[in-house]
Amino acid sequence: MRTSLNNIKAIDDYLLRCMPPGDALVLEANMLLNDDLATDVACQQLTHQAIRQFGRQNIKAEIMAVQQKLAAEPQHQGYIQCIANLFKKH
Amino acid sequence: MDHNTLSTVELREAFFMALYKKAFSPVARYVARMGGSLEEAQDIFQDTLVIYYEKVALAQAEIIVNEKAYLLGIAKKLWLQHYKAGCKNESLNDRDAEIISDEQPAAGKILHYLQTAGKKCMELLKACYYDNLPVSDVTALFGYTSKHSATVAKYKCLEKVRETVKQNSLSYADFIE
Repeated sequence: MRTSLNNIKAIDDYLLRCMPPGDALVLEANMLLNDDLATDVACQQLTHQAIRQFGRQNIKAEIMAVQQKLAAEPQHQGYIQCIANLFKKH
Repeated sequence: MDHNTLSTVELREAFFMALYKKAFSPVARYVARMGGSLEEAQDIFQDTLVIYYEKVALAQAEIIVNEKAYLLGIAKKLWLQHYKAGCKNESLNDRDAEIISDEQPAAGKILHYLQTAGKKCMELLKACYYDNLPVSDVTALFGYTSKHSATVAKYKCLEKVRETVKQNSLSYADFIE
């Protein structure tokens, strides 16, 4: 891999806590001395957060689709009705 | 549950369908008893499944002995959070943002842009980082010729998205100053 991709992998290993402690300390020291590196680490962390939000949105859409499918299939109508009955006011 | 068996939409559909049949009824019964509505029960259960999926994806679900009881436990915790917050339409991301208060707010703001500017990359990154799929599965799913190609593509995508984040973060910082 080219150097910039190796740097990205190193930051990834650091953020995902896969980096040996000694290497992590060196990277943290470099972050104090190098503003560009500190910015790269912060942006990569933000990227991970954006990926997680994207993942959650996708998986929630898949779950909602399953719920709609369950509600629409004739063989599950009894089950759906039982659950709906739980919320009927007595 | 082996998280390697959740690599495709179809496999995940079967996984979630089984969990709906197994655990939605006790969760709905609990929410009804607590005075909630059917819509609230559905919302709580959807968030419960998201949390459980993330546990499975991180291979942290191996020690869970009783899946049904575990899901009900998550749902009860979510309901109590929902009840305390007194907010009817609070999403999982909103709850998460409260728990992880040091997260930068820009993550939500840039998400829409990332989805349109690099959807293919985001799909690859989601498979690697959110679904936590092994490189061999990612190689097959995305049609790469080797694990090395898939790994290089992953880091190229991460670099591409990180640059977008950098540009957006800077413009956001400029905007608020």
